[in-house]
Amino acid sequence: MSFWEKVSNIDRRWIYFLVAVSVVFPMLVVIKFPIGITPEAKQLYDAVEALPDSSIVFLTFDYYPSTLAETEPISIAALNQMFRKNMKIITMTTVPLGGPSIAERVTRKLANKYNKVYGIDFVNLGYKANYVAVLKGMGSSIESIYPADNAGTPLKDLPLMSKVRNYNDVKFIFVVADNGIVDYWISIVNAQYGTPVGAGVTAVMAPKMYSFVEAKQLTGLLGGMKGAAEYERLVNHEGTATRGMDAQSMVHLLIIFFVIVGNIGYFATRKSGRSGQV
Amino acid sequence: MKTTLPVIVAFLSGLIMVVGFFLNPEKSFLGNVEEEVLRWGTIVGGFTLLLGVVSLVRVNSRTVSQKKQGWIFNLITLISVFAMAIPSMIPLSSKSAIGSVLYSIIPASWGGLFGTGPDSIYDWMFNYLESPMMATMFAMLAFYIASAAYRAFRARNTEATLLLLTAVLVMLWRIPMGEAFLRLFGDNVPQYINSFVMNGVNMAVQRGIIIGAALGAASMSLRIMLGIERTYMGKG
Repeated sequence: MSFWEKVSNIDRRWIYFLVAVSVVFPMLVVIKFPIGITPEAKQLYDAVEALPDSSIVFLTFDYYPSTLAETEPISIAALNQMFRKNMKIITMTTVPLGGPSIAERVTRKLANKYNKVYGIDFVNLGYKANYVAVLKGMGSSIESIYPADNAGTPLKDLPLMSKVRNYNDVKFIFVVADNGIVDYWISIVNAQYGTPVGAGVTAVMAPKMYSFVEAKQLTGLLGGMKGAAEYERLVNHEGTATRGMDAQSMVHLLIIFFVIVGNIGYFATRKSGRSGQV
Repeated sequence: MKTTLPVIVAFLSGLIMVVGFFLNPEKSFLGNVEEEVLRWGTIVGGFTLLLGVVSLVRVNSRTVSQKKQGWIFNLITLISVFAMAIPSMIPLSSKSAIGSVLYSIIPASWGGLFGTGPDSIYDWMFNYLESPMMATMFAMLAFYIASAAYRAFRARNTEATLLLLTAVLVMLWRIPMGEAFLRLFGDNVPQYINSFVMNGVNMAVQRGIIIGAALGAASMSLRIMLGIERTYMGKG
């Protein structure tokens, strides 16, 4: 067996080992490279910055715990920016599996940091089933869809919600999502009610969203952990996304290395027809 | 009647939603009807969750009672469902009838453990069991993607080579180290990838897919409204 045949048929556990090393090593040894800002991330940041202080905004937690590494830093960076501008934040989720709990945990942590009061500065509406009906229904009346908040307090007892009837009273909707719900925020809420929508999504979802940004149906876009790191840099709050960029860099470089070596092995062994099995 | 009635209901529901889209719910009867139908939708949606739980319990308890292969995992699923659900449904105070009975047995200070609020049993299990487990499952993908990239991502023909080169460029562009490397070839190279790959080729293809999927969804909706598509009734 030639060298390249051996390389092509390498035990996959070596690959797993190298991936593990690439993730762990940058956590022990910090290698900081400057994070470039994409125009889409800047557009989203500028749109939120341009809102008057104390504006009422929506922040959605439309993601499952599985994608927390990518999505939660976006939520945290957005909350830092919004609370710093004294915005009144309404959080909600269309994800039943943990969405309300994530919103509660993240929002309360940031609210304590900025001394914000529940019911006055922020409200967590929680989850309601059937997202198309929820998104459409809130266009007429939020209270008709959510008679009470996540803890069961009637909306009429929350001072912030007395100022909000429907989307007309909301200046901006910041969607953080790991699923197709962004399409509905665009097609139902932005298209029908005209409320500006910005989005932070997982890296695999981001390519689809560029067409919505170009069509101005989406006001800015953050894609994956890199997008989150860009936003952290913009709001001047270094968080887990910025710290995670080293690990992501190493793994990306490792995968590129694997692709190159794999292809050299493929061409070197092609004539003998014995390249590695998938 | 068994076939005609569902088709009439589907047609009217679809018609209300389509026409209601163009009408102001506050100023028109049909728009108002649409709003009411949507409210029903959220209520029906709640029941579908309940249906899902009932179905999950039925399927798993059958496997456990018959002790089929791997029944222990079904048992763990059942225990997990009830371990998350029961503490979250227990009343937080003695205000309700169930609560008054419960808190005559256990101290009132335990109320904070129930419900779904911060520091409740549900919240603890979600944050320290479910979240890490789900994140771990998702993180495992990195290992499989690396292995697949090594073994399957081959420049077998022109199309595959183009895909491979684009993927490598985008992967470099999405990391700070890669960006620094790309800048060695010119300060604007990362910007070119954003403009020509993501906002160029990628966007054109994505638009094609989005428009195609939307047309497909519209034609399927029309087929259901007109009664041509009846698979939702269990008919071919």
